[in-house]
Amino acid sequence: MSWTKIFAVIRREYLERVRTKAFWIATFLVPAFFLGYMAVQVASIRKTSGERRVAVVDLTGHLAQPLARELAEREEARRKKTPGSRGIHWIIEPRPVAGDLEKTKEALRREVLDKKLYGYLVLDPSLLEKDRAEYYSISVSEFVALEQMERAINTVLLREKIREKGLPASLGKELEKRVDLKTLKVTTKGATEEKGGGIIAAIVFLAIMYMTFFMYGFQNLRGVIEEKTNRIVELIIASVRPTELMLGKIIGIGLVGLTQYLVWSLVAMNLSLPAIAGMMAMGEAGAPMIPLSTIGYFLLFFILGYFLYASIFTAIGAPFNSDQEAQQLAIIPQMLIVSGLAVYPAVMNNPNGGVAVFASLFPFTAPLMMFLRTAVAEPPGWQIGLSIVILIVSTIGLAWFAGRIYRVGILMYGKKPTIPEILRWVRYRPGKVLQPASPPAS
Amino acid sequence: MTAAIELENVSKVFGRFPAVDSLSFQVPRGVIFGLLGPNGAGKTTTIRMIMNITAADSGEIRVLGNPMTREIQNRIGYLPEERGLYRKMKVVDHLLFLAAIKEVSREDARRRIAEWAEKLELKPWLKKKVDELSKGMQQKVQFIATVIHDPEILILDEPFSGLDPINTAIIKDYLSDFRKQGKTIVFSTHVLEQAEKLCDEICLLARSKKILEGNLRDLKRRFSHNLLHLSVDAPPAEIAALPGVASSQPVNGGYVISLAPGTDQREFLRRALDRYPLQGFSTKDPELEEIYLDAVRASGIEETRTIE
Repeated sequence: MSWTKIFAVIRREYLERVRTKAFWIATFLVPAFFLGYMAVQVASIRKTSGERRVAVVDLTGHLAQPLARELAEREEARRKKTPGSRGIHWIIEPRPVAGDLEKTKEALRREVLDKKLYGYLVLDPSLLEKDRAEYYSISVSEFVALEQMERAINTVLLREKIREKGLPASLGKELEKRVDLKTLKVTTKGATEEKGGGIIAAIVFLAIMYMTFFMYGFQNLRGVIEEKTNRIVELIIASVRPTELMLGKIIGIGLVGLTQYLVWSLVAMNLSLPAIAGMMAMGEAGAPMIPLSTIGYFLLFFILGYFLYASIFTAIGAPFNSDQEAQQLAIIPQMLIVSGLAVYPAVMNNPNGGVAVFASLFPFTAPLMMFLRTAVAEPPGWQIGLSIVILIVSTIGLAWFAGRIYRVGILMYGKKPTIPEILRWVRYRPGKVLQPASPPAS
Repeated sequence: MTAAIELENVSKVFGRFPAVDSLSFQVPRGVIFGLLGPNGAGKTTTIRMIMNITAADSGEIRVLGNPMTREIQNRIGYLPEERGLYRKMKVVDHLLFLAAIKEVSREDARRRIAEWAEKLELKPWLKKKVDELSKGMQQKVQFIATVIHDPEILILDEPFSGLDPINTAIIKDYLSDFRKQGKTIVFSTHVLEQAEKLCDEICLLARSKKILEGNLRDLKRRFSHNLLHLSVDAPPAEIAALPGVASSQPVNGGYVISLAPGTDQREFLRRALDRYPLQGFSTKDPELEEIYLDAVRASGIEETRTIE
């Protein structure tokens, strides 16, 4: 291995790609697209801020009024904290039970459908005993609203319990403070609250990995074919070993991808921070904290996965003379990458289930899925270790396999080879250049 | 001093088709060596095996006395038959890249690129993309790429194919220059005419086998069948009837006569001079093509492919 030569190849692959207009157009178009998407999101959140008319069927008979008061107080507090912020204005309408409960609910359901009501809440003592309350709404995905409602109910219930037990009301304030402290503690246990930011980061990282394997993996295939159709490859092979050329290309193209992400993260930091800050001020979402372990696992699985797929794409490009010819086989790695996403919901829902374990050990889905598991759950250490070992072994094996095909394929012109022919190349003895053993005779 | 390149019983089979069949030859240092033969004779495979792009199935290849090493690879300038360039690259970047993979320092590479661009009138094109260059200009770039690392040995596969006459002349000049500097040049061609004027040594291939090897001047002497050029004004029938004439062919202002084996040249000329007023005469070396055809015939190989 001559790193001087590999470096020359990396440098060429990198610079020639980064210097193209297409690269910069893609680099700036994607953030523009994302910003547009975020703008729509922010706009839609703004739109949903405003009046929320909610009916409360209070079967306890004494919770509806405190709830309305609590929500109003919270609204007031928020306005004081960030003046001019537009948030949700709750209008609580206590409703008596007309006839039986089911009929009341049915009537309310109509009102919600007719958009007279945003939703309705049923406070049933038998359910409250089991720490449950029912909230019906057209939109159950408006998390900011849901959370506000939930917190308010909890506060009211807490005060109610204190009153019932005959304890001083001031204790309520004390306990409420403790409630706040408790939310902070939950983060160390890795429970839902704090995971919010982490999961968003994990999904962004997952998308980056997926895109890299797909796009930059394919770039390797195109690069190999381009060198063949240019008829330059034989000239290069006279100076650089095929393995070195392959390695240089894979690294160079990978660095192009990383450059793009660097630009994106810079753009994101500069442009979207105000937007995130705005959202944080409006809702009560926590700052997206990305755990260091997530970043570490991302880098590890990103590099392994990229090398794995880049090797496959290289091997597929080498025997052919046009993208079209190679496309038939290129579908295989493309499908493998997509299959990683196909099991995404299953892994997300049950990060330690059978599907998740398999997907995170199977080398072709492991980079995406083991990374996801480490981000959303805590998979057993041996599984992480095993996944990494399997991935490293597969990557080395595939790179070797790809190298064998590559060194024969790049010099093959003319007829499109068949798959059995290509597989025979693996056993074929190619030219090997010896390292200088003795001082050269002259 | 060891030979620049040595092949010993080198064979290569592609599937069932023998591309090179127990080939042996030596390229002495400081000569222009022609690897000749029709298309499909095994020239490119031989060159690729020397360059270690393809491995020989059997036999031994030594370059500068050793099996090919990376260090030796850096001392060779190679121009493959299928020569291409990265079309989107700037000429200067392209040359810098090709120099870098020969482990030439960037500084040296820049200096040499400037020198060669000056010599080949390529300077205004250095900052242009390869795509924007005419074919002739691209050929110059390819030539510079071959010599950018100041190699000791040049190995050129069909260097003149596709070259315009001006570039052909330029490159022939430089090849002669390189030889004067003591460099060794190996090139292959199927155009024997080109080899004739350039080569010191040749190796003739046909049907994956060597049929002839050696110093071109020696070979010409060996294969000359007492060829004479006579400038004479006489009817063809009379010339053909002269004693000792094996065959004769009218050419402009006279005849090319092939004497029968064993005929004394001076004796024949004296007799001709007695009969006709000779305006001039000269001995004539056989053309490479004739040598080739003779050698093929002698080796018993059926050569069905035509040779240009």
